[in-house]
Amino acid sequence: MARLSVPTTARLPSSLPVETSNSAVVKLLNRLSRPSLLSMVLDWLDPTNQSLCPPLLQGRDDDDDDFYPPAGSLDELREIYSDMQQRKGSKREVVDRIVEGDWRNGVTLYQLAMADIQYLYDHPGSLKWTAYKIQRLKTPSSEDGAEGPQKLDKECLAIPRFHPSTFVQNLQAEVLPDVKAHYNLDRPEGMPLWLLRIFILDSPYNTGLAVSNRIGERAATSFDASRTVYIAFPDASPHVYLSNSQSTGATTTGESKSLRALIVDGIPKAMSRPRERYALRPAHLSTRNLAELLHVKGAGRTNAAGGGWSIYASENQRTDSPLNPVLPTPPLSDEDATEDLVGGARKKRALSTKTTHDKYQQEAKRARLVAQARFGDSAKADDGKGIERVDILVEDTFAAVTGERQGGGNAEDVGEDDDNSSQQRKRTKGGRSGVDLAFERGQDGDEDDGGDARDWKPKVRLTFHGSHVFAGIRQLVEAGIVDGERMPGWMTGEEGVTIGAVRHGRIRGHKGSGL
Amino acid sequence: MSSSRSRDESLDLSIADQLDDEIASLRAQVESLKKELKIQTSTLMVSEPTRKLLQDRSKKRTVNSLDSGPVAELLKKSDEQVAHQQQCLYRSCASITALKIRDPDPNAVDGGNVLGLRFEVMSKARFLRPYYVMLNRPYPNSRHLRVHRHTVPPCVPLAGLAARHLPAPKPKGGGANVDDDDDEPHQEQDLPRFARALRRELVRYQNRIGIVGDLHKAVEMKNSQASEVLDDDTIVIQNISPADAEAKQISVEWSDGKAGRLIIDDDGKIVKMAVQGGQGQDRGAARDLIGGYMHIEELMGRLEGT
Repeated sequence: MARLSVPTTARLPSSLPVETSNSAVVKLLNRLSRPSLLSMVLDWLDPTNQSLCPPLLQGRDDDDDDFYPPAGSLDELREIYSDMQQRKGSKREVVDRIVEGDWRNGVTLYQLAMADIQYLYDHPGSLKWTAYKIQRLKTPSSEDGAEGPQKLDKECLAIPRFHPSTFVQNLQAEVLPDVKAHYNLDRPEGMPLWLLRIFILDSPYNTGLAVSNRIGERAATSFDASRTVYIAFPDASPHVYLSNSQSTGATTTGESKSLRALIVDGIPKAMSRPRERYALRPAHLSTRNLAELLHVKGAGRTNAAGGGWSIYASENQRTDSPLNPVLPTPPLSDEDATEDLVGGARKKRALSTKTTHDKYQQEAKRARLVAQARFGDSAKADDGKGIERVDILVEDTFAAVTGERQGGGNAEDVGEDDDNSSQQRKRTKGGRSGVDLAFERGQDGDEDDGGDARDWKPKVRLTFHGSHVFAGIRQLVEAGIVDGERMPGWMTGEEGVTIGAVRHGRIRGHKGSGL
Repeated sequence: MSSSRSRDESLDLSIADQLDDEIASLRAQVESLKKELKIQTSTLMVSEPTRKLLQDRSKKRTVNSLDSGPVAELLKKSDEQVAHQQQCLYRSCASITALKIRDPDPNAVDGGNVLGLRFEVMSKARFLRPYYVMLNRPYPNSRHLRVHRHTVPPCVPLAGLAARHLPAPKPKGGGANVDDDDDEPHQEQDLPRFARALRRELVRYQNRIGIVGDLHKAVEMKNSQASEVLDDDTIVIQNISPADAEAKQISVEWSDGKAGRLIIDDDGKIVKMAVQGGQGQDRGAARDLIGGYMHIEELMGRLEGT
């Protein structure tokens, strides 16, 4: 540890040790399962990682009555942990050995970051991600222009690109001097994105003092007030996913919100270069599922072709080459053809006595076809792209809605349908205010086409809640509970938003194509 | 006794395996035959004699009776096949084709009418899956188009092109489109120019991806061939891969730890190259690699040749 602590603006070094007596350290380690804990420790013991996570090895002045006598060499230590991997045992045993034995002098910030990221990989749904779009701003033409409000450069053809180390360097310049941050960049396996973990401490020092337990009378260290935020940068996509912040100590929601605002502010500045400014714009999409985010705001063709449009984006259609002379069959008729072949004999028999059962079967088949037409290949229950919550505010006038749908089901009906299903519709009272805010924000930037004040506009708000909302709606359509042909487009998830206001039966302000 | 039984079992197993294999191969054969049948049918259906025969027959039938039956059905299928053939011809020759799509959303604007543009892109002598751009007319009392859905990857600047060539109509009486600039001169929409510009971007993007992929493969192949011949201390290029979304920046890695960045422009012309070695910038390596070359494709020849 450095003898002298001077307030600086530098970042926290990865090799900075944190005392293991700190409750946050034990908490972080205890969250992991035994197998992932052991594989992580073996990673720490890799010779290339020795500068960042050195274990305590045998010295000259060791006590003999130590419960965890320090190992003689790295190899020996590695063997001990490999042995632990072979046999069964408790997690406690491993954590104790780390905290009181091999790393009793302190666990470095790098190690803590690794433990935290490992937890994220083990529990991919533990964080809620919000998508933001990176957009180019117009370079102001004059000095006066620089003062005014920022304008989006819509005609720009350049795609913002992300260079990890430059970005971290620039972001550090944006961080205030009384706050210290530790950055850890990681590439998760099987996902085309970069994960940046930012660990923030309220301290002016970047030495051991920042994480120390004893700063005079202030026993409550700044470490307890630390916060962690993840930023994900998908490859080849002008989007950023930001996670909600986690804090180890007790922090108010306002504080974590301001931190998030700070980072949302800092990201575009870190990405911008002279004469090349960027801004972040919320994409009205937040979910716990990174795979879904990559699907809707990722690098592929599926960004602006959700729901039924996904058949144009799907890669598994072989018959699409113009050199193929065979008449393409519409997406559904392939299966139908085989079905008809099998069911043909049975049909002939039943032709004379057409029962209600047959009728029901026909209806079910039709419902399945309609669902296929509206949802395409998307919203399958087992595709692992589930959105857990969708908030919709219906702003249509009552008469207009019923008129458009020929007096059929109005918005309330749709809500009730969902109630009957496996998807639960919950009205959570706690999160309400945040949703309200987001709605209002969405309305601010929108045109108001000055509808008649006499029209009755009931405030209908729908919240769909479940493990995979759109798969649930698809199942309802397939079961014939929701009429697939009259169902509005936003129920298929083709807009790619999880929060939005509906006007004229369409999500307002959002153009669907993300332009 | 027990050994003979186990042998019997293994024999049974092997027979079962053999039968399974046979069934699988037969199934595959059936599939391929079905495919062939389809192709043959499609060829027969559009051939001139068949069509003539069918047309004559159907004429006779309509004279004789109202119910034309299977002949009319066949004729209908043949007509469809001819139409498809024609579409394929247009698609393979014109590379931008239009199609009509109906929006399944009951609340869709303009009665659900959607104009689709299909962009054919070729790579390695194959047609790739086409890119689609769907346009609709959301503006009241105006025939202006707007991009509704698309399958263009985000590294192609579709938004910028749409803003340039398909600007939104001027709002009537303020109100709408607040975020639009008022001081800009209003432009007319130009769909053909938009389509041309977008196709150009798509093809350039695909070509860049293709050439970087080729370079990567060439390096890999050379390394696998050379690994037996050369000793370890010769410095070779180890990897070439795209470094950004648009494949305009290419990272090059040497076996001695040098790392380089090659920047090309939209069309694949070499703009810049920098190599970072152990002791700062290594201009020699950059010169050795791209010396005198203007286009990234010329690099291919060097990698393959030497």
